[in-house]
Amino acid sequence: MTRATPPHTGAQLRDWTVASLFALVVALAVFVGHRNHALRARQLELADRAAAEIALGRPPIAEAEAAGIVGAPHPSATHPFLHPRTVTGPTGTRPLGGPSAPAVDKLLYDAAERYDARGPFVELASDGSGHAIAARPGTGGVAVAVIAPESPEGMPWLIILGALGLGAVIAAAGALIGGAARPLGLAIGGALLAIPANGWGGMGATISIVCASLAVTIASGRGTLARAFAGFRTHRVAIAFLAPASLAMFVLVATPFCVGLVLGFFDHQHGQWSFVGLSNFGEILSGGGRAFDDPLNFWFILGVTVVWTAANVFLHVTIGVALAMLLRQAWLPGKGVWRMLLILPWAIPNYITALIWKGMFQGEYGAINALLHAAGLDGVSWFSSWATAFSANVVTNTWLGFPFMMVVAIGALESVPRDFYEAAVVDGATPWQRFIHITLPHLKPALGPAVVLGSIWTFNMFNVIYLVSAGKPGGSTDILVTDAYRWAFERGERYGMAAAYGAIIFLVLLLWTVFGSRIGRREDKS
Amino acid sequence: MKRPRLYLQLLTYAALVVAAAVVLYPVLLVVKKAFEPGRQFALSASPIPTTLTTEHFADLFGARGGHGELLFLHHAWNSLVAAILTTIVGVSLSCTAAYALSRMRFPGHKAGLITFLVVQMFPATLLIMPLYVLLDRLGLLNSMVGLVLVYATTAIPFCVWTLKGYFDSLPRELEEAARMDGAGAWQTFWRVMLPLARPGIAVTALFSFMTAWNEFIMASTFLTDDSRYTLPVLIQSSVGQYSSDWGFFAAGAIVTSLPVMALFYVLQKFLVGGLTAGSVKG
Repeated sequence: MTRATPPHTGAQLRDWTVASLFALVVALAVFVGHRNHALRARQLELADRAAAEIALGRPPIAEAEAAGIVGAPHPSATHPFLHPRTVTGPTGTRPLGGPSAPAVDKLLYDAAERYDARGPFVELASDGSGHAIAARPGTGGVAVAVIAPESPEGMPWLIILGALGLGAVIAAAGALIGGAARPLGLAIGGALLAIPANGWGGMGATISIVCASLAVTIASGRGTLARAFAGFRTHRVAIAFLAPASLAMFVLVATPFCVGLVLGFFDHQHGQWSFVGLSNFGEILSGGGRAFDDPLNFWFILGVTVVWTAANVFLHVTIGVALAMLLRQAWLPGKGVWRMLLILPWAIPNYITALIWKGMFQGEYGAINALLHAAGLDGVSWFSSWATAFSANVVTNTWLGFPFMMVVAIGALESVPRDFYEAAVVDGATPWQRFIHITLPHLKPALGPAVVLGSIWTFNMFNVIYLVSAGKPGGSTDILVTDAYRWAFERGERYGMAAAYGAIIFLVLLLWTVFGSRIGRREDKS
Repeated sequence: MKRPRLYLQLLTYAALVVAAAVVLYPVLLVVKKAFEPGRQFALSASPIPTTLTTEHFADLFGARGGHGELLFLHHAWNSLVAAILTTIVGVSLSCTAAYALSRMRFPGHKAGLITFLVVQMFPATLLIMPLYVLLDRLGLLNSMVGLVLVYATTAIPFCVWTLKGYFDSLPRELEEAARMDGAGAWQTFWRVMLPLARPGIAVTALFSFMTAWNEFIMASTFLTDDSRYTLPVLIQSSVGQYSSDWGFFAAGAIVTSLPVMALFYVLQKFLVGGLTAGSVKG
């Protein structure tokens, strides 16, 4: 080492900053977690105590924002479909809700509803407002107490700044002394935040901070960090330009994606998470002990999804190419008008298309059955058997999807020189031969990627399945994405199952994208 | 140009007329329902109304929600705010990255391109559950901020990829001239390239506006308070499981779709170019 001391110390402090930034993030995260945990426990304890006092007929404790005995619902005299409740508190009995009622009335009412459905509970309000609510049996109704949200204690900036400052001094001192003190100072200085973090987050936080600091020290010793920084400096303009979108993608896409992957290893029931290892994946891939034709069996749904995708893409491409070929005939007048007319389904928002077709496939008033009647046929109850419900979905999706393929095919056909056809006609080629040997090879380069893209869209065409057949009958026309959605939001918040489904869908799509674009490329070369 | 035989011409016309009829029939049914009295479809296959009324439109614009607000306008405002904010977030965060991916070479350039492409192609429904859990933790369910963040997950990769395609099509000479005149990287981008890219930015912005305006399932999942609904959720709930008013639906569908359909017709040639260019290069 022949370098002078100042840059030496500078490099040491730079490496220390890397280690400390990581430590800072970990320490802040565990502190916030620790603080919220304590706060939550305190709020819940208060709510429980207040509800207990109410149940015993005593006045509520001072911390309660609202508390009282909520009576049973009674049909309203003027509007029989409304079921108002009353609350009895220290100031007497009054009806819940109404034009000038406090906002907390809604929490009281909902809590009584939940108590009637599920029994006593103590928990934080699910609206994220931080209210703690407790409900337990009381005399003449449900004893409910609501604790107002409390502002959390401030961040321990003094401790953090102190630890950071001391760490910097230790690291700098190590560099000034030189030799073995240099890595030692870096390791200790970078890991100093582990001490307060140990109090907030336990061993996990401590170990991760210490490990990170050691890793930085080793990387620093081998010059990896210096090279990385040099790379940053060379490409600093590109990095700065990429930063906004990349950061946003990291926060908005990568974070939920990783959270989704991790949640696949947990089970979620009634608000409680528990680690279950690979059992969600096991349950999905083994079919969960259900028969193969059970609509909840993963392999059945995968089969439906594949048939759905294949049928749609086939129809989109066939119809799209056929119409494109009709529209390219030179003698045809008004090509632009026809084209405008035929891409209409693409212009309509697809949830509206799906709802229109849902209306058309209605049994009683639907236009499809009216058409069948007009043709002297019997009406069909479209959503009571798998084949008809599935066909209804396919018809809807074909209607909305063929224009994309048609437009791509029109674009591709424009690139075919007309001389080719004229030469082929002169040589006596049949129309079919002209299609196979001239048209098709020109369509492939554009249609290949369009088919990959279209198949991904169809594989995930949530709106059509969800809005047209809604999985009827009995979930048998669901595809993978709608079934994953139902696990999360319609079958008792089984988030773990939904997450595992999401991970599997992602793998299937990834394989298909890689595989699909391979095929496309090979055909390009041949 | 030589015309084919007469029967071939007739066949072509017949096929096109059938295709156009199939395309137009559902649309005409909706138009009919919008101007025909009654909440249900009349039991008739004819797409031509027998009696005309504007009651559904009067209902659409006159109906008031639970808080006394004008139902349709209130939700149209929600949709408008969500779509505009999404567009602003998407475009403003994407311009620089799109330019860098188009013009600069750095380690991880290809990986970055593929990442943006894959994220743009893959459906946002894959992220719906983790996003729900995260937004619930952050208390952002039922809020405009939460919805815009969710929409940004699709808008940003879309904008980056489309704008990158546009920057690719711009000539390098102007940029090099600016460099010769001593402009830095930022000045070249801000003073030269960004003004040149204005048409591309406008098209990209309009597309991300349309996507957010037309989005249904995310809004329906993340907004449970019915005063926060965007138009798609309102329209879907008018023909929901328990009660359906197809007249309201038809009027609402027409008013909601007409502006974006007009936009679509103006912009469609850009969309096809962008989509296929993107996938060919990936």
